Amino acid sequence: MKARAATPWLLLAPALIATLLLVIGPVADTLWLSLHDVVLFRPRVQPFVGLANYLAALHDPAFWGGLWLSVVWVVVAVGLQFGLGLVAALLLNRQFWWRPLARALVIVPWALPSVIIGLVWTWMLDFNLGLVNELGMRLGLLSAPVAWLARPEYALGAVILAVTWQGFPFFCVTLLAGLQAIPRQLYEAAEMDGAGRLHCFRHVTLPGLMPVMATALLLRMIWVANSLDLILVMTGGGPGTATQTLPLYAFLKAWTGADYGYGSALAVMLTLLLLSVVIFYAVRSER
Amino acid sequence: MSGMKRRSLLAGAAGVLAAAPLARPWAQRPTTLRWWYHFDNPTSSPAALVAGFEKAHPDIKVQAESIPWGGGSDYDTRLYTSLIAGNAPDCVMVKFYNLPRLLEMEALEPLDARIAAWSDRADISDDLWKLHLASDGKRYYLPLLYVILYLYIRQDWLAEKGLKAPADFASFLDVAKALTGGDRWGFGLRGGPGGHDHWATFVLGGGAKLIKGGLVTPEALAANRWFIDLYRVHHVFPPSAPADGFVQTIANMKAGRTAMTIHHVGSANEIVAVLGDKITAVPVPRGPQGQGWTSFGDQSNAIFASSKNKEAAWQWITYLSTAQANATIAGLAGQLPVTTTAAKTWSAQPKRFIDASLASLPIAGLMPASPQTTDFTRTVWPQTTQKALLGQIPPDEMMRIFEKHFFG
Amino acid sequence: MKRLRLFLGTELPVLAILLFGLGPWVWMMLTSLRPSAELSQSPIRLIPGSLTLVNHITLLARTSFVENLRDSLIVACGAVVLGLALSLPAAYAFSRFRFPGRRVLRVQFLVVNMFPVVLLILPLFMLLRSFGLLDTYFALIMGHATFTLPFAIWLMTGYIDGLPVELDESAMVDGATQLQVLRLIVLPLAAPGAVAVGLYLFIASWNEYLFALMLAGRRVRTVTVALQMFIGENTIDWGLLTAGGTLVALPAVVLFLFAQKRLVGGLTGGAVKG
Repeated sequence: MKARAATPWLLLAPALIATLLLVIGPVADTLWLSLHDVVLFRPRVQPFVGLANYLAALHDPAFWGGLWLSVVWVVVAVGLQFGLGLVAALLLNRQFWWRPLARALVIVPWALPSVIIGLVWTWMLDFNLGLVNELGMRLGLLSAPVAWLARPEYALGAVILAVTWQGFPFFCVTLLAGLQAIPRQLYEAAEMDGAGRLHCFRHVTLPGLMPVMATALLLRMIWVANSLDLILVMTGGGPGTATQTLPLYAFLKAWTGADYGYGSALAVMLTLLLLSVVIFYAVRSER
Repeated sequence: MSGMKRRSLLAGAAGVLAAAPLARPWAQRPTTLRWWYHFDNPTSSPAALVAGFEKAHPDIKVQAESIPWGGGSDYDTRLYTSLIAGNAPDCVMVKFYNLPRLLEMEALEPLDARIAAWSDRADISDDLWKLHLASDGKRYYLPLLYVILYLYIRQDWLAEKGLKAPADFASFLDVAKALTGGDRWGFGLRGGPGGHDHWATFVLGGGAKLIKGGLVTPEALAANRWFIDLYRVHHVFPPSAPADGFVQTIANMKAGRTAMTIHHVGSANEIVAVLGDKITAVPVPRGPQGQGWTSFGDQSNAIFASSKNKEAAWQWITYLSTAQANATIAGLAGQLPVTTTAAKTWSAQPKRFIDASLASLPIAGLMPASPQTTDFTRTVWPQTTQKALLGQIPPDEMMRIFEKHFFG
Repeated sequence: MKRLRLFLGTELPVLAILLFGLGPWVWMMLTSLRPSAELSQSPIRLIPGSLTLVNHITLLARTSFVENLRDSLIVACGAVVLGLALSLPAAYAFSRFRFPGRRVLRVQFLVVNMFPVVLLILPLFMLLRSFGLLDTYFALIMGHATFTLPFAIWLMTGYIDGLPVELDESAMVDGATQLQVLRLIVLPLAAPGAVAVGLYLFIASWNEYLFALMLAGRRVRTVTVALQMFIGENTIDWGLLTAGGTLVALPAVVLFLFAQKRLVGGLTGGAVKG
């Protein structure tokens, strides 16, 4: 499309300025701090240590453990959110008389603050007074109550369940909006060719939804990778370090441990890892 | 842009903290005093206290800001951020664990001279004064409220089994075992952040010491092994213990799922509301040699060195630590007043819980004034203890990790 | 028969999803309606023995919750308006123009969300303090709108990409300027995307805690901070917390109930032929 070269820049300027000021600046600050030995309560002594914080992280088993947990956390949580959200979006795109109400109600989990979600799920998963154990026992699914958050083999699953619950409406709404953008004639044409439902889904719906789907997945992955509030409320990273993902570890190091330089280095490393995923994605999508 | 700027900001903030207070040129205008506080009860408001103070000091306006506690970390994060950015309030409610870090930041105003000249000083007992001494021998905290951890116990279940409340570790284990069975457990351990209070009772009370080498003596290791065995061998804690926070331990008491737990008057009224006379409290059990340890939960006020209104801040915080106002704020916070006058007529909780608190004073202690303490109580203790409770590491390893954390 | 198929194939699965989606929220609502003594009963009662509104009355009458709701509403609406104003033109630029540095810029916006915000809060605090913006609506609106820009821009770009370029081109042939095309053709057609993005912006701002805690809190206090006040050092006020938690989901739900009409009909069947 022909246009004056300045036009896109004018359109981008406000967003760019806001980002530079409020994000890139603070990120650069933190990047700089990660090269120093910054202890929060010693603001005057901050010696430059180069890459020492980064090297220390590479030798820190908690870093590698956190990284692995983060990978599991992101892949499983985003996968479940996406799957459930897609199913919900397809269903809510069909015609039935109470559809508007169903569409509105489905966003309830997403519309709640994380701290509430964390506390409610902690409470529902409680060993003694939790709804999950109670229902499980009554329905005969459990033979004895389970201490979901105190068992390393279940704790991560429990937190992933909560974050799936919180996040699936996001996919539902974005994909629902994406479905509206698929021209109806494409379906009509496919039906005229005698295509079945599944065929329509594979050859019309999926390709039409692809741009929005890919973007939503990418953005959600970044968001989930960085989110720590639910884990913090529900397990605090425990039991032991069974749910201590990388950003949670960075947070605990920087604030509770007051080792701000090290925490910053962990955060930078997480960002670099995510950035490499994104660049990989961007390169592929340009093809 | 601002790597350098940021560093100089940090340094500048420290400079401001250390700088001498400037005289206010408009001294005739009322001074506005910023004070940060946190209460457990969201409907508690210090408005009446502020009004009472402002009536007596027409030249001072108190701007009381309630800060979310957030397990301590929200409160601390705001505190440190505002200090580093040079935007701190004049005075704040703080706890002892904040002291070492605030001291290193040179953020606090020493209060020795003011305390020495303070007429109501004697109304706060020496036991309380001696706990707040900083490592440099000065005083930066003015005691405001306190709690002492005691042992909650179901006296109805004791009576059923013909048992007495445990006074030492051996009888504690007997009682805990006797009261465990079915869906009931002898002791509700707080295995999440803050649960070091429970651990300390058994391990510091059992002979471990928070001094270099003191956590890895044979005595200390044995006490810790005994503690871990309560869960792994004797099963007197509920299975959820590694993840339980204070919410769960208190709820389990109220629901009749546990027979004992350790907490303080802050939860007495809500438990009594459910259990009535079935619940009572005694001092925590003592170790084999008769020594004991329980946690002293302090709540103090401090003035920041950066404040330009130190005299006004002093007026306000001493007002809060003087008889009548001290009783009022203790009522709002659900804790015990520090003044002897207010304590004499104190009745905000049933007497047996106050008695158990006071009887515990001789063995009450604080975690060491080390910058490592915050990280210990919030992260290192729960993570390491949970691993030991789950059998991922041996109990002795747990103590070695603690020793390393505190003493390198 | 057709009705039955609709029920089994569509309505029943939707009900199942809603059961999962609403279950915890309903459980929370039931908790808020229980007398406090019932909260610690064991075994738990699924259906409350008696109902009470005492928690809701305390919440609305004896805490600042109503004012906090107002503050949250102002901040969230501000964030939606500012966020859309920033992201729509940017998305249009990314979608319809090819210019040097486009790809780097797009990825640059994503970096915003890649960094754990807890480690940006200290520099942000200093920045806003130097502008004297701490504890203002504007600080939170700016913060929320900026940190949701990646989502907003990328999603909007995706939706605009889906709109046929032929429409723009035919309008340009008719003599419309680029900005007129954006306003008259793209904006109306991108409405479903804008609704989804707007809802996203609203909810993200509505639920945000860290900025609301650190960058504001006294004059401007949002519901997330207010709810946190119910979690004390030694006690959690479950009654107030669950009452507030139940209410706090409603504005977004009501908003979407009305806004969803715009989800459909943005692209009509015949639009492409034109």
